Amino acid sequence: MVSLLRTLRSMRRVGIKEWFHQLQNIGDAKSGRLVGTDQFGNRYFENLNWKEEIPGRHRWVDFAQHYNSASQIPPTHHSWLSHIRKEFPTEDTVMQNLTPPWQAPWHENLTGTRGAFKTYNTVTPKIKAWEPKVAERG
Amino acid sequence: MMSIARQRLAVGAASLRVLPRSTQSSFIAYRLLSTTSCRSQAQPIHIKPGEPSHDHRLDPPGFKSPHGTGTLSAENGPGKDLDPYKGGQSAIDKAVHLFFFTEILRAMWIVMENFFRPPYTIMYPYEKGPLSPRFRGEHALRRYPSGEERCIACKLCEAICPAQAITIESEAREDGSRRTTKYDIDMTKCIYCGFCQEACPVDAIVETQNQEYSTDTREELLYNKEKLLANGDRAEAEIAANLHSDHVYR
Repeated sequence: MVSLLRTLRSMRRVGIKEWFHQLQNIGDAKSGRLVGTDQFGNRYFENLNWKEEIPGRHRWVDFAQHYNSASQIPPTHHSWLSHIRKEFPTEDTVMQNLTPPWQAPWHENLTGTRGAFKTYNTVTPKIKAWEPKVAERG
Repeated sequence: MMSIARQRLAVGAASLRVLPRSTQSSFIAYRLLSTTSCRSQAQPIHIKPGEPSHDHRLDPPGFKSPHGTGTLSAENGPGKDLDPYKGGQSAIDKAVHLFFFTEILRAMWIVMENFFRPPYTIMYPYEKGPLSPRFRGEHALRRYPSGEERCIACKLCEAICPAQAITIESEAREDGSRRTTKYDIDMTKCIYCGFCQEACPVDAIVETQNQEYSTDTREELLYNKEKLLANGDRAEAEIAANLHSDHVYR
C-alpha cells in the first residue's frame, strides 16, 4: 500500500506507539514537524520535504478526541489546514490583529446531540391561531 | 495483491516462451519501423525471364507510344517484385500480438510502479485539499470590530438571491437605527452562488470557509439571525483574514 522506505523512516522517527496511533487514525505512517496545538489539544503537523510527503499531503492534524470529525478544528486552524493561510495561527500576525475581543469560542458540529441547532422565529408571528369567543347573548 | 501480480507475471512469461517458435515470422511481427527497413525482410517474387513485364492488353491495338514515353501501370512502380507480406502474419495479427500482449505487461508495470510510491490519497479529515479564501461555504453575519452588527437591512441580498433563500424583516431599533428583526436563510434552498456577499454594501453577510456543517435533520439547516450571527462571532478571525488577503483584488 505504501512506500516501504517511507513507512520505515516515519516509524523510526515517530516511534512504535505513535505509529500505531497513526495507523488507527490517519491510516498512514507520517512524520513531520509539530507546528502547534490548538485550544482543544489537536496537534498540527507539517512536512515540507516533497521527497517525504507528497505536496498536498504536507499538512495534517492529529485529533485529540477519539471520535473525531473535521468540525473539531477551530476556524483559524482550519484555514491553515486547508492551505488558505500560509502561516500557522500563532505566527500569523494578520489573523491575530484581525481577531476581535468579542470572538466567541468554537464548538464542533453538534448535530445529532442535544446541542443541535433548533430554529425558531425571531419576530412575532403574523398569523395567529383562532381563539373562539362566545358572543354575548340575550 | 502481490500474489495475483506474481501469477499474472508467470502467465506472461509462459506465453513469452511460446512465442519464438517461428523466428522469421516473429521478427516480422515485432520489427520496428525505425530500426528495420521493410525491404530487408521481404521475399522476392519469382519472375520468369521470357515473360514480358508489361501488360500489353491495356494498350489499344495499333497504338504506339512515342519513344521514351508510355502509359505506366502499377507494375512499373518501384519495388514491384517484392512482397513484404508473403508468408508472414497479417497486419491485424501483428497488431494484436504487439498491442494486446504487451498491454498486459505495460499495465502491470504501472501497477507495480505505483505500488512502491507514496499514496496520493488525501486522508480526510486529517488532511485536506486546498481551499480558496473566496470559498463559499456556510453563511455568517459579521459585526464591526466594536461589536455592532453590520447588517442594515437594505435587503439587497434578499433581492439578488436567485434561489430566494433569504427572508428579511426590518424594524427600527430603540436607538433609531434600522436593523433586521428577522434574517432567515434556508440553507437547503441556497445554491451557494455568493451573490449575497457581493451585493452586501457593508460586508455583513459572508460565506465562510466552513463546509463541515452537515446535519441530521433538515430543520437544523433553516438558519435564523441568531445562528448566523453566532457563526460570524465564532469565525470572525478567519473571515477577516480572508477578506484582508483578497482585498487587493476587489
